[in-house]
Amino acid sequence: MKRALLAASAVTLSSVITLAHGQDLIVNSYGGPYEQIIQDAIIKPFEEQYGVRVIYDAVGSSQQDYAKIKATKGRPGFDVVVMSASQSLDGCREGLLEPMSVETVHNLAYLNPAISAVAGACGAVHEIQYLSLLYRTDKLTEAPTSWKDLFNEDLHGRIVLPTFANIMAAYLTQIMASVYGGDINDNIDPGFEAMTRLAAQSIGFEQASAILESYIVDGRVWAMPFWDGRAQLLVDSGAPVDYILPEEGSIPLIATLNIPVGADNKELALKFVDFFLAKTSQERWVQSYKVGSARSDIEVSDEARARKITTQADLDELLLPNLASLSANLAEWGMRWEREVVPAAR
Amino acid sequence: MSSLAINAAKDRPMRTALLRKYTPLLPPALILLLFFAIPMGMMVGLSFQPKGASGASLANYERFFNDDFTLIGLGRTVLMSGLVAICVTVMGYPVAYFLARSRSPWRAVVFALAIAPELAGVVLRTYGWLIILEDHGFINNALVGLGLISEPLPLAKNMFGVVIGLTHVILPFGILSLLTSLQGVDPNLEKSAQILGASRLSVIRHILVPLTIPGIVSSMLLAFTMSASAYATPAILGGAGFKVLATMVYEQVLFYIDWSFAAVMANVLLVMMLIVAFIGSRLEMRLHKKLQF
Repeated sequence: MKRALLAASAVTLSSVITLAHGQDLIVNSYGGPYEQIIQDAIIKPFEEQYGVRVIYDAVGSSQQDYAKIKATKGRPGFDVVVMSASQSLDGCREGLLEPMSVETVHNLAYLNPAISAVAGACGAVHEIQYLSLLYRTDKLTEAPTSWKDLFNEDLHGRIVLPTFANIMAAYLTQIMASVYGGDINDNIDPGFEAMTRLAAQSIGFEQASAILESYIVDGRVWAMPFWDGRAQLLVDSGAPVDYILPEEGSIPLIATLNIPVGADNKELALKFVDFFLAKTSQERWVQSYKVGSARSDIEVSDEARARKITTQADLDELLLPNLASLSANLAEWGMRWEREVVPAAR
Repeated sequence: MSSLAINAAKDRPMRTALLRKYTPLLPPALILLLFFAIPMGMMVGLSFQPKGASGASLANYERFFNDDFTLIGLGRTVLMSGLVAICVTVMGYPVAYFLARSRSPWRAVVFALAIAPELAGVVLRTYGWLIILEDHGFINNALVGLGLISEPLPLAKNMFGVVIGLTHVILPFGILSLLTSLQGVDPNLEKSAQILGASRLSVIRHILVPLTIPGIVSSMLLAFTMSASAYATPAILGGAGFKVLATMVYEQVLFYIDWSFAAVMANVLLVMMLIVAFIGSRLEMRLHKKLQF
């Protein structure tokens, strides 16, 4: 009798645990300031609306998360992950990510079609940043306007660059190619030549954005390429810095929400993606994380409107790389970067 | 009773004894097979399947051995690991000797200090060294402040910084390895030699070093293999231009998503360590024979 009771209790307990687990959505994204912002702007309102619990997993960069999805063949242990458009395309091609459509995620219908197309069928674009030129307002007598200003003599030894393992490096090389007579997709040589000269002007390379920004905050460097969202957070923190979208334009970092093909809680994951793309959520996200949106119908402050990508006109000004070609060239460019650009640094 | 029956009766206790002897080895052997041998086999198999191609080929190995960039990375790994092995053993020997022979009340303090680096995580310790060694770090700021130098010395983001950081991380293992060996040497041998007129240097050269060769070799091997496979310290203290096999494997796995090429690099690293271990053990035997008196 005792045994039967114990067995019955165990079965009941296990069912309760399974049920509770069924209501938990595991979202994998970044740590640091990002975590608090996403908790307040998106996760808490989502939990309130759907009466579920979101477990936030801040472990790993998007590259590590993608490697985990690949290694587990689409069952990495989280339901939603924040990655990039390039990873969305690769994951979709390899059948590791769940395709999404307007039928399953209604708010996809409101995204800019060109941007959505860049991310492919498995990525829901939830934010857009652009590579900006961040500079110290107290050190430069004149604010920069162009990418070419990075080569000014007074910035010698006052620039830090990303390592090639940070996608910012490839984008900056593409931008430089475009600035110096090449092309972001088909003629990258002028980009590498410019980056080699810029490396000689720099103090070296760092991979993590958090470390890169520490250089400009403590005044060791006076200018550097940086994503506009994090640049705005630095401006808001009171650091003597500002940033520009240089006159030659920039390449956007298209961030996507993705669902691994073997996610445990796919239905809730789709609801989360839809919730994140909703007009009010996007407005909160643009206002709090200081990024742009692929929805041009959102209402945001004049300041955000002026500096962020929020309209079709803003989107049209950006240089959109062919991500499939970037992905195919990445290894070769990486080797070229190590051979040509890195040795030129001080 | 036939001879066959007698033999069978004799074999039974032998089999039981063998079973008793080897049964305790089964669980670790199974764990090694499941979590080491099989994954290693899979990695070797993966290295023969180039990214995006079907069928097995040696293309990835050709790519590795025909590329000066990866070969320089391999050379740098060997040089870095060799330097750390020498530093760890040379610095660890006096400390291990003190710990093995001293009866000073400071012995416990020295022992605690010797293993203290292991109390903090490797990333934390390495960032600590970065704060000390970087261009605007403690040493350079102090030297510039004192007017001894005008430009910062290149202490970090190069081989020097990495060797310092790795020596600090691995030194406790070297000390413990040498300590075991030194504790096995009878102190009376040293006393007898000194009574017979041998100088301190002579005692070290003719008694201590020959008798502790196994400890010296194991300290060097341990330091070499730990350095060759270290990722965090070369990545943090070496900077972008300092590529060793471990950091290159990381980039291939996570950034380029080329696991086949990463497997080639990992296999080369493994073979290199096996060669060094083989040479080490042969050297140990030869030196032990040569230096015996």
